[in-house]
Amino acid sequence: MKKLLVLLAAIVLMANIGLAAELEYFQVYKPKGGMKADEIMRIEYFVKYTKFARDAELKGKAYFIDKSGTVREKETLRQRITLGRKLDDIAYKDLVIFTSPAVRGMGTLTWTYMFPKRQQDSWLWVPSLKKIRKISSANADDSFLGSDFTNEDILTRRFEDETYTLLREENFKGYLCEFDKKTYFKDAPCFVIEAKPIKKPWYYSKRILWVDKDTGGGIYEEMYDPLGRMFKTLFKEYVIYDVNGKGYPVQAMLEGKDLRTGHRTVIVNSDIKFDRGLSENLFTERALMQSRW
Amino acid sequence: MKKHIWILILFLLTSLAYAEDKLSFSGSLKNETSIRIESLNGDLTKEKNIVELAGQYKIKGDELVFFTKAKYWYDAAYDARDKLDIAQHYNGHIQRSDWLRDCYLDYTNGPWLLRLGKQQVAWGQADGITILDRVNPVDLSEFWLPDMQDIRIPLWMANINYSPKLNSNLQLLFIPDWEQSEAAYLGAPFVFRSYTEFDAFMQLMMRNGCTWDVKLNPVGHQFNNATWGLQWSDRIGDLDYTLNFLYGHYYNARNVISTSGTKYIVNRNFPLWRIYGGSFNKTFTNPGPMQGVTLRGEFAYYNDEPTYFGNPTAASTKGYKRWDNKFWLIGIDRNFLTRWTGSFQFSQYILEHAKVGRTVAQETYPMNAYTYGPADQVENIFSLKLSSHFFNDRLKPEVSWSFTDDNQGKLSPKVNYELKDNLVFSVGVHYFYGNVWDSNGQFRDENQFYTQLKYTF
Repeated sequence: MKKLLVLLAAIVLMANIGLAAELEYFQVYKPKGGMKADEIMRIEYFVKYTKFARDAELKGKAYFIDKSGTVREKETLRQRITLGRKLDDIAYKDLVIFTSPAVRGMGTLTWTYMFPKRQQDSWLWVPSLKKIRKISSANADDSFLGSDFTNEDILTRRFEDETYTLLREENFKGYLCEFDKKTYFKDAPCFVIEAKPIKKPWYYSKRILWVDKDTGGGIYEEMYDPLGRMFKTLFKEYVIYDVNGKGYPVQAMLEGKDLRTGHRTVIVNSDIKFDRGLSENLFTERALMQSRW
Repeated sequence: MKKHIWILILFLLTSLAYAEDKLSFSGSLKNETSIRIESLNGDLTKEKNIVELAGQYKIKGDELVFFTKAKYWYDAAYDARDKLDIAQHYNGHIQRSDWLRDCYLDYTNGPWLLRLGKQQVAWGQADGITILDRVNPVDLSEFWLPDMQDIRIPLWMANINYSPKLNSNLQLLFIPDWEQSEAAYLGAPFVFRSYTEFDAFMQLMMRNGCTWDVKLNPVGHQFNNATWGLQWSDRIGDLDYTLNFLYGHYYNARNVISTSGTKYIVNRNFPLWRIYGGSFNKTFTNPGPMQGVTLRGEFAYYNDEPTYFGNPTAASTKGYKRWDNKFWLIGIDRNFLTRWTGSFQFSQYILEHAKVGRTVAQETYPMNAYTYGPADQVENIFSLKLSSHFFNDRLKPEVSWSFTDDNQGKLSPKVNYELKDNLVFSVGVHYFYGNVWDSNGQFRDENQFYTQLKYTF
C-alpha cells in the first residue's frame, strides 16, 4: 500500500512538473541566462505562434525570387485568434485570405490543437468551385505556399517534435538581408541551440538556431540534411510592438534561402494589429464562405 | 456640358471611394483554345476570349457590402470553321442573361448574414459530380469541362443565414428567379446525342410531310413557382455535417411528345421535384493509421425526379416518370510523398426501378437524358485525381480520371505553369472513351488538346 501511495505521489509530481513546463497563454516571456535548452525553446515556440496575444491581424507580402533574379509576388491578409482552450483542445485558429489578383479570394481556415501530436484541421475556399473543401493536412516537409519555408517551418512544428541542446551563448554576427541589403541583429545576444528531429528519417538532421535574448524569437537558423550538409538558412526579423504597455515580439520579415536551388523567399508583414477583440465567429466555415471573389 | 459634369462627379466619387479602400476591382482576360485530336489537320473547336470584371463596394465597413461580377466572351472558332456555323449566333457569342455572374448585397450583423441578389450557391462535398449541388441550373455547352463556377447559372435569390451557435449555420434560400439549364446547340462540339438524335428525327418527319409544334413551358417568375432551399450545417466533434432540402422546378426540360394527325406536339416541361439529403466531412487529426486522411460524402434522395423512359435501342423517348431516385458519394483525400495529393471518389446513382412497365408489352427502359441510350438502374461512378506542384508552386501538373462500370469515362491530364505573377498558362487533353450511348462515350470523337492563357489584374 505504501509503495502504491509513493508511486501515485510520484505520478502526480511528474504530471505537475510537466504542467509547470507549459507556458501560460497571454503572457509575455523572455529567455534568461541560466535557462535550459528546453525552457528557451518553449519560449521560442510561444513567441513564434504569438500565444501572448489574444488575436492578431497582419498583411503579408511574399516575394519568390529565383536564381536568375525573377521575382513573383503574393499577398495575404492573415487573422489569428488565440484560445488555448482545453475544453475542445483548440490552441488557435487562423484565417488566411489571398489578396493578390491571380489567387484573389482563395482562403484557408486552420484550427491548431493543443495536443502536440494532433494535426491541424483545414478548410479551403476554392473560388473556381465557389465551395469550401475540407483538406487533408499538408505534408510537414512540403513547401509552404510554394515558398522556401516548409509547412512545419511556418505552421506545424511543435516543441515536442525535436530534442534540444544548448550549444553556447554568443553575440550574433549579424544577418545581411539580400532583399533590402540591411544588416540585422548585429551583436545581438543570443542562445545557440541545436535542435534534432525526433522523426527519423526526416528531411533534415538538425537545425542550429540563434534565439534572440531580447525578444525570445528564433532569428536565424541553419538547416542540415541527413548527410550533414547545410541546405537552407532562415532569417526572421523580430521587432517589439507596444500593445497596451506590453511588448509583443513580432515577425516583421522572413527570408528563407534554399542553398541547393538558389531560390529565395521573402515575406514582409505589415499593418500588424493585436488584441482588437476579433470574434471567434470570424473563424468559421461560414465566414470563409463569405469570400466574394 | 451636363453630361461632362456627371462624368466628372462619378469620377470624383469613384476616386474618393477607391482612396478610402471602400471600392476594389479585379478582373481577368483569358484565352481558351482547343483542337479536336481526331482530325489530322486539327479542327479548331474553340478560340474563346473571355473578359471578366468584378467590383466590390463597402457601403458600411464589412457590415454592408455590394459585389458584382460581369463576364463577356466571344468564340471565334465558329467564324473560322464553316461546318460549325450552323448556329453561329448561339454557339459563338450569345451571352443569354448570365453575363452578370454576381450582383448582390451582403449584410452581416452578429449571427445574421443576408446575401441578396444574383448569385450561385454550392452545396455538398463532391468534386465534379452534382449530387446536392443542384441549387442553380447548369450550362453544359462545354459538357462538364469548365470550372463549376462557370457551369452554374446564377439566379436572383435571397440567401438568409443565421448562426445560432458557433460553427453552426441555418441557411434559407428563397429563389423567385428561374432559368432552364443549357446545353450545347446543334453544330457545337459538345452537343448531346439526345439532341442530335431528336433533331434527326424531326428532320426526317418533316421531309415526310409532318409538322412540329414545340411548346416550351418555362416556369414563370411568380412567388408560387419559387424554389426553396434549406441547409443546416453543424459540427459534432471534428465531423462537419449538413442536412439539406430543396424544392422547386426541375431545371432540365423533359419532353413529352404527342401527335395530332401529321402534327407532332412537343411539350417541354419542368416538373416539380424535391431533394432531401446531407453531407459530411472529417479529417483524421489524431495519431493513428488514418491520420492525415480526409473522408467526405454526401447523399441525396431525389423525390419525383423526372426520369426519361422509352426505347433506348431506337433512341426514342416516350416521356418521363417521376421516380424517387437516390445518389450518394464517398470520397477520400490524402497527401503523400511530400508534394502529391490524391483524391478518390465512388458514387452510385440509383434509379427507383430498372424497367417502367410490369408486362413485357409495357416494358420500356429508363434512358440516359444526355444520349437517349439505356440507363442502368445502378450506375457506379468512380473518379481519381492526382495533383502536385514543382518549382516553388510554378508548375502544377494534375490528372483526373472519371469512369463508370460500363467501361466509359474521361481522362484529363493538365499542367499549369505560372509565367508571371498574373499570367498563367495551361495545357491539357480531354480524352473520352466508351460506348456512344454513354455520357462520356458520346464524345469519343471529340477528344481535344487545349491551351489556356489567363491574365489577372
